[in-house]
Amino acid sequence: MVVTVVAVLGVFTAIGQGQGGQAMPISRQMIQEAALPPIDRGLRDQDPARAARTSGPGLRARADRTGATLPYVRGSVIVKFKPGTARSAVSMATSQVAGVMAADRSSFADFDIVDVPMESDVEQAAELLRARPDVEYAQPRYLNHAMTRPNDPLYTNQWNFPAIDMERAWDIQPGATSDIIVAVLDSGVAFRSGTIRYNSRFSFQMTRNGPTYPALGTVDVPFSAAPELGATGSTRFVAPHDFIWDDDLPVDLDSHGTHVTGTIGQLTNNGVGVAGMAYNVRIMPVKIIQGLWDEIFDSPNSGTDDVVARGIRYSADNGAKVINLSIGRSEGGPAPVVTAAIRDAIGRGVFVAVASGNTKDNGNQPNRLGDGATGIDGMMVVGAVGRGLEAAYYSTTSGSVEIAAPGGDQRAGGSSAGILQQTLDLDLLETYDRPVSQYGPPRADSFAYYYFQGTSMATPHVSGFAALLMQQGITNPAAVEAAIKQFATDKGATGRDDTFGFGLINPRATLRGLGIAK
Amino acid sequence: MMTRAPLALALLALLASADPAGAQAKPRPRPAPQSRSIQIGGYAMFGQFNFAAIDTFDAVLGRTSGPIFGGGATVGLPFGGLFVDIGAWRFKQDGERVIVVNNEVFPLGIPLTVTIIPVEYTAGWKFLRGRSRLVPYVGAGMTSFGYKETSTFAGAGEDVEDRFNGYHVMGGIEFKVMRWLGVGGEFAWTTIPDSIGTGGVSETFNETDLGGTSFRARITIGR
Repeated sequence: MVVTVVAVLGVFTAIGQGQGGQAMPISRQMIQEAALPPIDRGLRDQDPARAARTSGPGLRARADRTGATLPYVRGSVIVKFKPGTARSAVSMATSQVAGVMAADRSSFADFDIVDVPMESDVEQAAELLRARPDVEYAQPRYLNHAMTRPNDPLYTNQWNFPAIDMERAWDIQPGATSDIIVAVLDSGVAFRSGTIRYNSRFSFQMTRNGPTYPALGTVDVPFSAAPELGATGSTRFVAPHDFIWDDDLPVDLDSHGTHVTGTIGQLTNNGVGVAGMAYNVRIMPVKIIQGLWDEIFDSPNSGTDDVVARGIRYSADNGAKVINLSIGRSEGGPAPVVTAAIRDAIGRGVFVAVASGNTKDNGNQPNRLGDGATGIDGMMVVGAVGRGLEAAYYSTTSGSVEIAAPGGDQRAGGSSAGILQQTLDLDLLETYDRPVSQYGPPRADSFAYYYFQGTSMATPHVSGFAALLMQQGITNPAAVEAAIKQFATDKGATGRDDTFGFGLINPRATLRGLGIAK
Repeated sequence: MMTRAPLALALLALLASADPAGAQAKPRPRPAPQSRSIQIGGYAMFGQFNFAAIDTFDAVLGRTSGPIFGGGATVGLPFGGLFVDIGAWRFKQDGERVIVVNNEVFPLGIPLTVTIIPVEYTAGWKFLRGRSRLVPYVGAGMTSFGYKETSTFAGAGEDVEDRFNGYHVMGGIEFKVMRWLGVGGEFAWTTIPDSIGTGGVSETFNETDLGGTSFRARITIGR
C-alpha cells in the first residue's frame, strides 16, 4: 500500500491506494482547521433502543457493488516469510496462490500483503501458504470491529467506578500523569476541530431489500474535540494516526472510540460531566477500524488484521505504554499477524488490553485477537460484569479471559446499568438510521452522554488501571498483568475461570500493594 | 532461622574471652560477694535485631535488621545464680508498601512504618565464679511481641496492631565495673511462630515468624 500525505497551505490531503489495490481519487480533505465550539447536548436518556453490535458495522449492500458481508477482505492475504527466505522461494510461494507480492511493504509492518485474484478463496490461499516451510504465518485479512453494544442512555450515574473502589484508588494514584501515553486503537477519537470534506459517491442499503440511501456527493463534515477529553491543540493528544484513511486525522465517525477513550481518560475533577480511570494520561488516537460513515465515504482501508497489527506497532514505536483494543472479531481463524505485533509491543514495554467479545448469548465465539493471551504476559483479555458485578449476559467466555471489569449489563440492570461516557451525538451522526428522506451528512461536532455496554467498555477500565500502575512504578507489562491478577477479587469458580478470568479488577488494593503482615 | 548451635557458639565466645581484670596486677574493686539475699538491678540496653523473615523485611524496609533500644529489671534470687528478668525493647523503621511479582519487588511509594515492642520474661542462671568480675549467664522465657504496622491510605482495619506470644533463649556475660555497675553483652534468639504469613508480603514469601536474633549491649545498675 502506497500512501502519500501532501500538505499544501494547510490543506491535508490523503491520497492512497485502497485495500482492493485500486487507485483512489482524493477522498477526503481537511478544508478548515478551525470550527465552531462543540455542541453539548447533555444526557441522552430518551432515545429509542439501539441494536446491539456484535459484528462489523459493514453496509449490507452497496447499490453499485454487490457484496455479501464477509469476515475478511477479498483479493489479498497476509503472509510472513521466515527470515532469509530467498526471492525465488517467495516467488514460488506467491505463484502457488496465483498471487503477486505488493510492491512495497506497509509502514509499521514486518509482514507482507500478497494480492490474489478477487475470486480466490483467501482462507484456502492462506492455508496453502502456511503449509510451506518458508512461511512463518499466513492468514486472510480478517475484518475487525468495535466490541460494544450501544443501548439506550437513561442515567447520569457512573456506577462502574465505585464498584471497583476507584474513589480510594484515586486517593493513592490520582489519575496518573502525562508521562503515560495510552493508545486507543479504535474507530478514532474526537480529538480535534475542523471541517473535513468527504465524497459520498455511491448509494447503499442498510438492510438487504431495504430502502436505498442515495450518494450525497461532496459533503463537509464539521468536527470538534470532545469537550471532556481535551481541547484541540492541547497536549492531551499525542501522535494521532489514521490507518483507515492513511493520514494523521483519526477523527471518530462512529462514537465508539470516543466513548472508550472517555473511560480511560475523561477529564475529571473539572466540575463537568463524568470521570475517567486515568484522567491525566495522554491519549494516542489510532484509527484502525472504520465506522459506517467511513464506509459510506469509501475509506481506502478497512479494519483488517494487518491494519490492526500496524496500528499496534505504530503505537509502540511512538511511545505508548498501554494499548487499548476494544475491537476484534469473532469470525474467522487465528490472527498470528496481530499476536506477533502484540508480542513485539510487549517486548518494548507496552501493556495490551483486549476485549473478550460480546457473543456469549450468540454462539459464544471469542475475539480471535485475544487468542493465546493466557500464555502472553503483558496482554490481558477482558470480560465484562454488570452493575451487580455478575457476568454480563453478552460477555464471551473462553480460555483466554484473564480479568473482568465493568462493561455494563442493561438486560439485568436496565439502561442505567451501562457505562456512561461522553461521545458523539448519535442523533446528528447516524443519519443513516433515519428514513431515506431525512438522510443527510453527519455532524461530528455535537456531543452527549450515552450509556454503552460491552466488553469494549470493560477493556478501557483495565487499560486505565494499567496506566495508573505504570505511574505507580510498575513499568514492566508482565508485572502489570501479574499485579492485576494478584489483587483481583476472585469471582465464579475459585481461581481462574473462563467467565471472570482471575476475577474483577481491584485497583485500590493493587495500587496500595502489600505491607509486611497485610 | 537461628538454632541452638549458633546460640551456644556465641555464648562460648563470650565465655572464652579473656578476663581483663585477672590479667592486671592493679588492685581491683572487690566483686560483690555471692549472696543468698535477693538482688535487684535495672538495666538499659541497645543493639541490633536481625529478622528471621529476611525476604519480607528486605522487601518492605529495604533491610533485614535494625537498631533496638530498651531496658528492664533483673532480680537475683537467693538460690545460687538463679535470676528472673523482665525487659522490653523497641524497634521502629520506615519503609514503603510494595508489590512482589515473581520475587521481583516493586516499591509503590506509599510510606509504611513498623514498630515492634517485645516484652521478654526470662528466667536464667548466672554462673558466679568466686570473686571474678565476669559473670556469664543463660536464660529462656516467654516473649510477648507487640507488632504495629501503619501506612498511608489505610482504611479501617487495614493497619496492624497486635500482640503475639513466642519464646526466646539468650546468653551473655556481664562485667562488674564496680559493685553497683556492670556492663555486658548478650545474644538472644526469639521465635514468634505464626505471627505473620497470612497476608502481606510475608504471605508471598511464606515467612511466618516475626522473631529473629539480636545482639545487645547492657549497662546494669544495682546488685
